[in-house]
Amino acid sequence: MSEILLCSQSLNSEALQRQCGINTDQLSALSCEAPILAAANTPYLIGDDPSGIGRGVLGQLAPAHVARELTNLSLSYGGDNVVALAEISAKLKEYNIGLMGASTSVYANRMGGFAGSVKDYQAALMEYRQAVKTASPQKAAAKQKAHTAFQKMQSQFRNELKLVNSQVKARRGTPLTSVERATNIARSSRTATKLNVTSQVQANNLVKFSQHAKFLGNGLAVIDFGGRIGSVHNSFQAGGNWERDMFIESSSFAASAVAGSIAVKAGLGLLIVATPAGWVGLIVGGLAVAGTAAAASIGMNSVVKKNSGAVYDSVMKWISGV
Amino acid sequence: MTTIQYLVGLMIIATLITGILFILFGQITVRKLRKNPETKEQLGVEFASGWDVLNVAAALSRPKWLSEKYKKSKLSGLAANSDVLYQSTTLFDRILARVFWFLYVFLGAAMILILILNWCGVFG
Repeated sequence: MSEILLCSQSLNSEALQRQCGINTDQLSALSCEAPILAAANTPYLIGDDPSGIGRGVLGQLAPAHVARELTNLSLSYGGDNVVALAEISAKLKEYNIGLMGASTSVYANRMGGFAGSVKDYQAALMEYRQAVKTASPQKAAAKQKAHTAFQKMQSQFRNELKLVNSQVKARRGTPLTSVERATNIARSSRTATKLNVTSQVQANNLVKFSQHAKFLGNGLAVIDFGGRIGSVHNSFQAGGNWERDMFIESSSFAASAVAGSIAVKAGLGLLIVATPAGWVGLIVGGLAVAGTAAAASIGMNSVVKKNSGAVYDSVMKWISGV
Repeated sequence: MTTIQYLVGLMIIATLITGILFILFGQITVRKLRKNPETKEQLGVEFASGWDVLNVAAALSRPKWLSEKYKKSKLSGLAANSDVLYQSTTLFDRILARVFWFLYVFLGAAMILILILNWCGVFG
């Protein structure tokens, strides 16, 4: 695991020692081995990096626009939570398999709405943080706004949130499960934060998360497919077993498309026979179909992803034994 | 290998075969129907590109009584019109449709069953 330090303003060695208990000797940056101070919006690696993963991670996070966004986000949400949120947003992209298999307009609207409500909530939290930082009299109103956005997100998209959050294990909850946690993080006025990044893939998720606006829009399935290819490519670059990863990604993609589309097909068949009463029934029915399809395709995706590596291994073993 | 890994292996094989049949049926039968002015508008709603392949396969595999029931529904426009399709397809088309459709349905149903069992913790 690599520990990454990010500051929103430049800290000299004393300030750094006082705020984080870190000595500048422990730091290294991409461009220099022994910095004398921690510059703003620049990722630093804390401690040794025997495996070399840390430098790779630094390289991914170093571009100025990525580092700046990531620093702001990390200070707003807390280091652990940013890593968790990046994982969540990567998971969000996997919803698009649902979109691929079950691309009903109802479903597209729903996913657009979900991503939009997460974004609204995030914006409200950012606004609250800004109000706290400038000690604005609108602080209470901003906090209220974040609460309202959170409630709205919770009441409308309970199922989606449950699926997304089940992937993340954060002790004190994530901003998506607890608005208290979120506003506490937003209120704290630290200027430095630490991220624990365990892999290149996670760093890649962080980079994508810092440009999170991109995960919205109509080209969702394309982006997702790009994401899958990206993970194969990452593995290829890192010298991993990329054929195995390609097998995992493509088989889980295909299987989740089948599971999602069959759920839609079955649901629509029922709808046709049941002829729901009026447009309200149709919308409710459509949402139920879309929700089931999403659950089916995401569930299938995760089951196949988890197990197809072992399938690949035993097939390869069998081939080499023949 | 554990049970779930065997099942996933089988599912991957079945998905591959279903995928090949999907392409074959789409290229041999549905392509023809898409070009035919009589059937062009009767293939049901295309939610995603290629969705009409599923609609046609379903329409050709549906029992008669279900088609009758569909016809009475206000939402019948979602599905493909089986009457018209029967007139413009050959026996081979219908066999291909049924082989693909039932493999697809059994695979999908098995996947959802496995998912539910997995959520219930049957596979540990």
